[in-house]
Amino acid sequence: MLLGKSLRGEGIFSGFPMKQISILLLIFSVSGVTALLADTPPKKIALSDFPAAAVEEVVVPVPSEIFAVLDKLGNPNWKSQLRDGKALTPEDRARTALLLGNVIAEGFVAVEAEDAERVKELGRQVLTLAEAINVRKSVIARSKSITDKADQRDWRGVRAEFDGALQDVRGAMQELNDQDLSQLVSLGGWLRGTEVLTSIVENGFSKDGAELLHQPELVNYFDRCIGSMGARLRKNPLVSSIREVLRKIGPIVNEGGADISIDQVKVIHDLTHQVNQKIVNGDN
Amino acid sequence: MNVPVKNPFRTPRLKMVLIMLLVAAPALLRATVDDALSFAYEAALPYYKQGYSIRKDAWGGDLATREKKAVSSQLFKGNDYWFLMATDLKGASLSVHIYDDRGNLVDAESWQKGRFAGVRVTPKSTGTFFAIVQILKSPEERTPWALVYGYK
Repeated sequence: MLLGKSLRGEGIFSGFPMKQISILLLIFSVSGVTALLADTPPKKIALSDFPAAAVEEVVVPVPSEIFAVLDKLGNPNWKSQLRDGKALTPEDRARTALLLGNVIAEGFVAVEAEDAERVKELGRQVLTLAEAINVRKSVIARSKSITDKADQRDWRGVRAEFDGALQDVRGAMQELNDQDLSQLVSLGGWLRGTEVLTSIVENGFSKDGAELLHQPELVNYFDRCIGSMGARLRKNPLVSSIREVLRKIGPIVNEGGADISIDQVKVIHDLTHQVNQKIVNGDN
Repeated sequence: MNVPVKNPFRTPRLKMVLIMLLVAAPALLRATVDDALSFAYEAALPYYKQGYSIRKDAWGGDLATREKKAVSSQLFKGNDYWFLMATDLKGASLSVHIYDDRGNLVDAESWQKGRFAGVRVTPKSTGTFFAIVQILKSPEERTPWALVYGYK
């Protein structure tokens, strides 16, 4: 996964000798850095000057990027958003990939709720689901770290481990030439994150909260991803129903902009809730 | 008494090692995007220490000098972002700036120091933004680059 692609990060900041870190800290200490202004960029550019080939693919935000804003807007009841129970591992690989993304997103919810037991349980589920699609090895260490950091109540650390698990799983799948399944993991995570986001926004509606749903390029991106998948996967009933959902959500988040109404939030919530139920329970 | 000195390059094993080194040298010297990514993470370290969560997901590739690339990203109003770009190629310099979906520059602050560059953005609205990455100068025809971001 190199040229013209999004990259998978390795263990963050591990393996750098302290001396090197100290030197870098000196170089990049923020006060000094701001003084190092150099090139003067144009105030306005024509994005149309960038052909498709000159535009990199979207990096899908993790749920905690959105949850961080919700925390600033109010005090959401994260515990009430947690899903009960443990999903059984599906036989269908597409559903397993979607469920894996869903479970990782649930991990971010559990972190917000600061529910250590649930976090550990979800960490174990990540391992089980990863095993079902032959990428267990890639997340063994992450799963252990999730447990350790949850015990220490190091929530920032747990967030980083769930993010890392997502990237490691996707990276392992791409190494196995399972690009499509890798996209489904991201999609599964986004669907669960959006379900939780809409639930919170609906319960304490504000214009700023609703604006977080303005994600047109992301919705289009997922639609394009499904469109470019192999016929077998594209025609998978679950994948196909998700595409229908995306096409219903697309116009709302595209045209709504900063003015997404509470009714529209409810529509998106119902759509994502229904499709997530299918991912968890398997009834297409 | 003269001691005969054996010419090391006449030893088949040494000759083979020399040939292998010559063959491998360009590959060893060739900067890779993975190395650029390591440098980008290094550039992100001070921000991590300031409480920014640095994403594991990243972008990367290689560019010719003065060639630009747009990197699309979904950003959320209410968050504070730093984008950090780097190359491992000594002597190269690069830049990164953020534009909204109408092409307006939205940098809150930015810096550029040789093979590293950074830009901060605090979006006024939620939506799609574009990081425009560019190689300003480079000793090589193509320069590997990587871009990471953090939020808080």
